[in-house]
Amino acid sequence: MTINKREFMVRAQLEDKTLEAWIREEWLIPADSTGEMMFSDADVARVQLIRDLKNDLGVNDEGVGVILNLVDQVHGLRRVMTELLRSMHNRA
Amino acid sequence: MKDPYETLGVEHSASPDAIQKAYRRLAKKLHPDLNPGNKESEERFKEVSAAYDLLSDADKRARYDRGEIDASGAEKPRQHFYRDFASEAPPGHSYENYSGFTDFADSDDILSELLRRRSNVHVRARGSDVRYELPIEFLDAVTGAVKRLTLPEGGTLDVTIPAGIQNGQVLRLRGKGRPGLGEGEPGDALVEITIKAHSLFTREGNDIYIDLPISLSEAVLGGRVNVPTPTGSVTMTVPKGSNTGTVLRLRGKGVLRRDGGHGDELVRLQVMLPELPDTELEAFVAGWQGGKAHDPRRDMQP
Repeated sequence: MTINKREFMVRAQLEDKTLEAWIREEWLIPADSTGEMMFSDADVARVQLIRDLKNDLGVNDEGVGVILNLVDQVHGLRRVMTELLRSMHNRA
Repeated sequence: MKDPYETLGVEHSASPDAIQKAYRRLAKKLHPDLNPGNKESEERFKEVSAAYDLLSDADKRARYDRGEIDASGAEKPRQHFYRDFASEAPPGHSYENYSGFTDFADSDDILSELLRRRSNVHVRARGSDVRYELPIEFLDAVTGAVKRLTLPEGGTLDVTIPAGIQNGQVLRLRGKGRPGLGEGEPGDALVEITIKAHSLFTREGNDIYIDLPISLSEAVLGGRVNVPTPTGSVTMTVPKGSNTGTVLRLRGKGVLRRDGGHGDELVRLQVMLPELPDTELEAFVAGWQGGKAHDPRRDMQP
């Protein structure tokens, strides 16, 4: 499900400046549908993760970028692993 | 629910600082998004955050210590973690990143096929922009032209140069950059224009300058002369008594402006003596009284 910028900011409780900065850092990558930024539930949850890292875990801004990148890589790995296992089972 | 002090592994007398430290140590290990495959970590994390929620609030902690409240019900409702979406997201979710193993995909057929299929169907990424430099002739910059750029990787690109382009201006050719991934759009080609020098003309903004040699007789008596312009020669009247350095303006013979008008061509006169010595001229000047009285350096005070 996608939501527009205004709704996203309300649901994620995010201010304009913060949103801009996080997009600039590529912590958030909104989908672009004909020039309008669109967000998803995953983006809302990602905001919560960024908040947990910054506020609860005391990670600084540089660290947040590093962690997000690694988390994204882990999810990429997990997805390919899932498909790999599925294709192995299908073959067997 | 368990004793929150026990959950965090701290003494009852622990300082707020020590509690925060203990919480952070556990949260780093247990945060579900940092443990995408571990279902147990989520339960543990919820316990730990609930305990921290209670103990990090001085008021709640005091009430708990006095036995006024217990630890149950302190759990923060939290429906979702990022991993729930990351693992359920449709393939090609914009954050997912395969760079962790593209190296071994190179040597493995199954894996590279999997990745190829994935990137063909699902991944969208805009292609990157490419920069080129294109030197063009002075007159092409003034009148406009179409130039063919030969690309380093082979192939050509036709670049339409608008009339009046400035040196250093960058033309953006939409969609002529690197191809995008999947359904992503291609990037743009950015072509930086440098304008080569011309043997006769120079240019400042939208005006064109030219140095025009005139003969002594044309300077003294005036006359009609031909002047080159970017669009061909035109006839211009040199007024009687024109000197070296006199600037005459040919309106509208300069470069196309953005507003649709044209700049001017500015003609700087240079009076030239005959190339070979002329005895008649020498005889005249020798007897010319006015010439002897003329001192062109009288205003030159160092």
